[in-house]
Amino acid sequence: MIKKQYSLTVCQGTGCISGGAEDIFSSLEDEIDRLNLGEGIRIKRTGCHGFCQRGPLVVVDPETSSGLFYSKVAPGDVSDIIQSFLPGGKPVERLFYRDPASSKPIPNYHDIPFYRKQERIVLRNCGHIDPEDIDDYLATGGYQALRKALFEMTPEQIIAEVKQSGLRGLGGAGFPAGRKWEATFRAGGNEKYVICNADEGDPGAFQDRSVLEADPHSVLEGMVIAGYAVGARRGFIYVRAEYPLAVKRLRIAITQARDKGFLGRDILGSGFGFDIEIFRGAGAFVCGESTALVLSIEGKRGMPKPLPRPRTAEVGLWGKPTLLNNVKTFANIPLIIVRGSEWFASRGTETSKGTAIFSLTGKVANCGLIEVPMGTRLREIIFDIGGGVPGGKAFKAVQTGGPSGGCIPASLLDMPVDFDSLTAAGSMMGSGGMVVMDEDTCMVDVARYFLDFTQRESCGQCIPCRVGTKQMFSVLDDITTGQGRPEDIDLLLELGESVAGTSLCALGQTAPNPVLTTIRYFRDEYEAHIHEKRCPAGVCQALVSKTPSLSKREGEGDK
Amino acid sequence: MQSVTITLDGREVSGYPGMTILELARESGINIPTLCYDPHLSSIGACRVCLVENEQSGALLASCVTPIAPGMVINTHSPRVTGHRSTIVKLMLASHPDSCLVCDKGNRCQLRQIASDMGIGLSEFQRIPQMAAIEEVNPFIERDASKCILCAKCIRACQELAVEGAIDYFRRGFTAKPATLNDLPLEDSECSFCGTCVALCPTGALMEKERAYRGTTKTATQTTCPFCGCGCSICLEVKDNHVVRVTPGKQDAVNHGTLCVRGSYGCDFIHSPDRLTKPLVKANESFEEVSWEQALELAATEFKRIKDKHGPDSLAVLGSSKCTNEENYLLQRFARCVLGTNNIDNGSSLYNAATRIGLGTSIGFPGTTNYVSALEESEVIIAIGADPPSSAPIVGYTIKRAVKYKGAKLILIDPRRTKLSSFAYLWLRPKVGTDVALLNSLAKVIIDEGLLDEEFVARETDNFEACTKTLEEYSPEYAEAITGIASKEIRAAARLYAAASQAAIVYGSGITQHTSGTDSVKALANLAILTGNIGRRGGGIYALQRENNAQGACDMGALPNFLPGYQNVSDAQARRKFEDRWGVSLPANPGLTALEIVEQARQGKIAGLYIIGENPVLSFPHSSLVTQALTSLDFMVVQDMFLTETAKLASVVLPATSFAEKEGTFTNFEGRVNQVRKAIEPLGQSLSDWEIILRLADKMGCPLPFSSLQQVMDEVEELVPLYEGYADSQRLHEDELSIREAGRSYRGQLLRGFARFSPVQYTPHVPRQIRGREGKAPFLEAKEGYPFTLLTGTILYHFGTGTRSSRAWRLKKFSPQSFVEIGEADAQKLGISHCDKVSVISPVSKLTTIAKIIDGLPEGTLFMPISFPETPVNGLFDITLDPEAKTPSLKACNVRIERVGPHGEKEDSRTS
Repeated sequence: MIKKQYSLTVCQGTGCISGGAEDIFSSLEDEIDRLNLGEGIRIKRTGCHGFCQRGPLVVVDPETSSGLFYSKVAPGDVSDIIQSFLPGGKPVERLFYRDPASSKPIPNYHDIPFYRKQERIVLRNCGHIDPEDIDDYLATGGYQALRKALFEMTPEQIIAEVKQSGLRGLGGAGFPAGRKWEATFRAGGNEKYVICNADEGDPGAFQDRSVLEADPHSVLEGMVIAGYAVGARRGFIYVRAEYPLAVKRLRIAITQARDKGFLGRDILGSGFGFDIEIFRGAGAFVCGESTALVLSIEGKRGMPKPLPRPRTAEVGLWGKPTLLNNVKTFANIPLIIVRGSEWFASRGTETSKGTAIFSLTGKVANCGLIEVPMGTRLREIIFDIGGGVPGGKAFKAVQTGGPSGGCIPASLLDMPVDFDSLTAAGSMMGSGGMVVMDEDTCMVDVARYFLDFTQRESCGQCIPCRVGTKQMFSVLDDITTGQGRPEDIDLLLELGESVAGTSLCALGQTAPNPVLTTIRYFRDEYEAHIHEKRCPAGVCQALVSKTPSLSKREGEGDK
Repeated sequence: MQSVTITLDGREVSGYPGMTILELARESGINIPTLCYDPHLSSIGACRVCLVENEQSGALLASCVTPIAPGMVINTHSPRVTGHRSTIVKLMLASHPDSCLVCDKGNRCQLRQIASDMGIGLSEFQRIPQMAAIEEVNPFIERDASKCILCAKCIRACQELAVEGAIDYFRRGFTAKPATLNDLPLEDSECSFCGTCVALCPTGALMEKERAYRGTTKTATQTTCPFCGCGCSICLEVKDNHVVRVTPGKQDAVNHGTLCVRGSYGCDFIHSPDRLTKPLVKANESFEEVSWEQALELAATEFKRIKDKHGPDSLAVLGSSKCTNEENYLLQRFARCVLGTNNIDNGSSLYNAATRIGLGTSIGFPGTTNYVSALEESEVIIAIGADPPSSAPIVGYTIKRAVKYKGAKLILIDPRRTKLSSFAYLWLRPKVGTDVALLNSLAKVIIDEGLLDEEFVARETDNFEACTKTLEEYSPEYAEAITGIASKEIRAAARLYAAASQAAIVYGSGITQHTSGTDSVKALANLAILTGNIGRRGGGIYALQRENNAQGACDMGALPNFLPGYQNVSDAQARRKFEDRWGVSLPANPGLTALEIVEQARQGKIAGLYIIGENPVLSFPHSSLVTQALTSLDFMVVQDMFLTETAKLASVVLPATSFAEKEGTFTNFEGRVNQVRKAIEPLGQSLSDWEIILRLADKMGCPLPFSSLQQVMDEVEELVPLYEGYADSQRLHEDELSIREAGRSYRGQLLRGFARFSPVQYTPHVPRQIRGREGKAPFLEAKEGYPFTLLTGTILYHFGTGTRSSRAWRLKKFSPQSFVEIGEADAQKLGISHCDKVSVISPVSKLTTIAKIIDGLPEGTLFMPISFPETPVNGLFDITLDPEAKTPSLKACNVRIERVGPHGEKEDSRTS
């Protein structure tokens, strides 16, 4: 028998599940049952740990136990893991994370650079609690912020706290959250709404999904506090239909929160009533834009409204004042309420407080979900947390902010990451995607790839976005297939400027960013494609292939 | 209101708060190009062509959606603006086909105009064509998405103006386009082919199909639609004396940039090969073409002979609710002064006499009391006995707009499901002919629950006590037993109507063409005055008129008992005014109504008849009786565009011009006097009706003292108080016409100074009378062997008796044949399948048509459209009159239906 109590967490995020984490969990259960170790070893499902690259993950709870971190676990490893807890058992070394440079095993969760350099505030519970069990959330102090807000604070005080914290909206634009709250609070009328934007449509971005899957109650708690602060009684979570697990866990969380009295007509006997509905999006990227999202909930086609227009805080859902914030913004709220605005504002930079969350992907050793204080340098993120570019390749660029973000070259690696610095570099915080590219990446191809996405996702309403992005895409397509003309770079710049300058909404206004930044920082690659018919990175098939017939455009003859 | 001053292209200009930069620029004579803006539509700032630069902030602003703000400094044509603007236009051109040479839109294409204005030729952009197939088979609208710039005017027109919701954005990105639900062809969608989108489309993406005549039009004439009583402003575009195209007109206070399928595509009848081009005289049972001289000589001689032999009252005249005011005025003067009889009536009497009497008695004004546009301000609208989306589409659009965009609540009272049903807040489905009981019960609830406007009732009405007394028995429970509507719904409707601060009532021939029509109108008026809804902005009573000039024909005195302006013929003082002016002595006895004329003709008491633009053989009940009566006349002159069923019986047929070939005015149902302008020269030898009347009067030796239409207008203005000032308006510059609310309209106060409650009683139509009543004929006696109630009405794709619409070949092609609608349960019982050939048999007649199974008809009820000449539905009716208005029941009769056999041809997809 085991004397000590062990607690095992098995990641059940979408990434680990796709790696077979559900099987591993049931195998662990079976093995514990078989050996009758139920008294000594408890296992629980958690949401995403963030280190998706190494999944499926099994972690021995670092708070109560050894903190051993087993990565890339397969069902065959289960028996060894359980054996390790038996008297005389040894940790399963082969499952340890190894430093990519030295190949030295790092057994403990806290020692892994990927985690060590992070500061997990929004992701505080991710990977630690069972997202389908409200008691787990409560055990971490969950819903204390709501109690405090309801019984110790007035709406004005809450809003003041949020304002003082300097929290900026984490959906991309970085609008000061407190000002939005205040505007909604001040807007007249009895009927107001709170909307959580979980329409995370960027390719490669998954932080909203991970938060919802791993810690849904922190979002719900943030929303209820927001509802109380602005005077709303109904909330909506607009979540992508492509996120079935997030939807499932949200449903469970909402039901449990209702049962416990954190949602409903009279929350905790305070007299304040608030409830939350889930609205599933139908897969349009543009519905992440606030006015389009609102129209979508109203049952209409989601299309952004032209500026100038009243703010959603004043005229939102069904024409009523509406507070619309991102998942991560709401998830920050309970901590700001409990620990105070000063605590929050002590992180980050002068203008960007708190933390930034990125989905770190691409040519980087440690892909995954990370959270760092605002102002952390790109280099730290990519090389310290991310473990650098694998395979001894050279770093070329990092693209931030989703498909409408820009590509930042190596020369700017020491740039601090915050809303304003990224914008100044021609990119943006956006949804928090961060794609690392190495020397094997063709920057023209990258621009073409991202533009292909945005041009498809244009709502079609305005000409510059619908036709302009298509036109730009077509020019890029020509360049990557060896059809580029010398004047194409100027044409792209002219088009890019017009599309960015004249489009109706942010989708079109930012769509040219990948093109404009790659021309700005990697113009030589464009010139090589056009003048020398050469793809320096060797990516563009038509230009590296010895057989021109592989290129579909080649056969069309000279133009 | 304080004005806002901004600097626009270096010039200080002022506008009102809320005005957009674009509006102010246009007002200041600065042209900002735009492709998605239209004043009738909500602005969406989508095409981005109208971008301007804020010189202070450097921001580029869509001028169509940006309101002016004090101190703004705007540059509409800075190099930056024109640079971007030209990029945007080039982008559109790059995805637009190079088919301008063969595109029918030609120089009317706004994209081409803007490109040309900006000096944009070939661009350096890649050609990225939008691929699209043209799939429609309908004869009206062709969609070519390859030319679409997605300005979304069509989408907004469909959703915001016509409120059909047939099209919306479809797909995303470059493949986005306007499309119907599931991208089906238009004919399989909610589209009603109103053509509004076609008129607004800036490019060749939406074009009218199958035009009879092609070419670049040379002239465009603003005139008034000749179909229903809405009186839409239309524009006739002409080439080679051919009307090539009809578009919404500029003076569109009524139609706001919209039209319906009849207005847009129904005017094909103008150039129908059936048009009469020469006078005809019957000899040996067939017609011979003769000269005008001969025809008029014959007509004059015969009328004189009959007058001399049998006296003036052996002659009668039937005027037309389709002819102009001036023509009807001349005609009644012809009847009274030349023939010397008051035997003059017009076709609209068949359905609007009830209104004239009912509203005349109650509020002292014989028609609609408010403007159509005011309906959009109503909080509650009662629509009863009317299917405006079919019969008066503009009113239909307005009601739908009020409901969808202005939050109005619609109480629809109709046994049939119509297009309005889905817009209704409350849909009450009374048993046919029980309206009076329902309306009385609504009034009773309002009084009992103290919801009436006591101040209005006390100050502005009389006879309230008598009315209250009559209402005593009409408890909702009592009404429920009669109407079949649950008492709680009656209460709900009454409360809803009474609680609204502005509530309107819209009714049509479903009220007036019953034998209880006058009573129903009075009951409706009672409701309106009980709640003070007369003279309020969003309140009032809207009496729909079926024809374009039904109101005007009556205003002009084409009536047996009224001189022009409803001045009673038996009133000596009124008569004297006209006698003095006309220099004749006028007959003092009221003449015969339309149906009485037919009846007297049958009895041989009327020997000579002059019919202008009416087709009683089809439009009157009991066709065989009417035919018999008309055949028995000594002499009949029919003046028409076509050889109608009635004209075939005439001795002399005079070819009249269409509305497109003449000048004058029509008065629409709301009382607006609209200009009719000549767009083409008369076809063949046809003449305008007013010219013919003048020439006939000459021939009869009593010339009427007019040498121009203007003189007629001047006299109308002088003698008809309601038309005071109207002739002046006709002289105004055409664009100014729309500014003033025209001549005769109700001016918001009670003409007589007070309104009168008119107690009315429900007269049961079931054989087992609930309560015996003296003096009134039962509404509809259910007869053994005729178990079905046949309802009749208008359908959108045809009009009236079909004289014109069946010759408008695109309408005819789309909706080629008549049908009878039957509910599924009834059809099943009788073994009738969809499209089966069936006989509809009434006690007086029988016809054969096609069965169409629909849901939305109460059991035991059938519906047939009246507009197919080959199945004269009115012929099924016996002559039963409203005792007061003397108008026939033409709305509902007893029939049976029998299956004849299967139908071979495939039925047209959409005929209702």
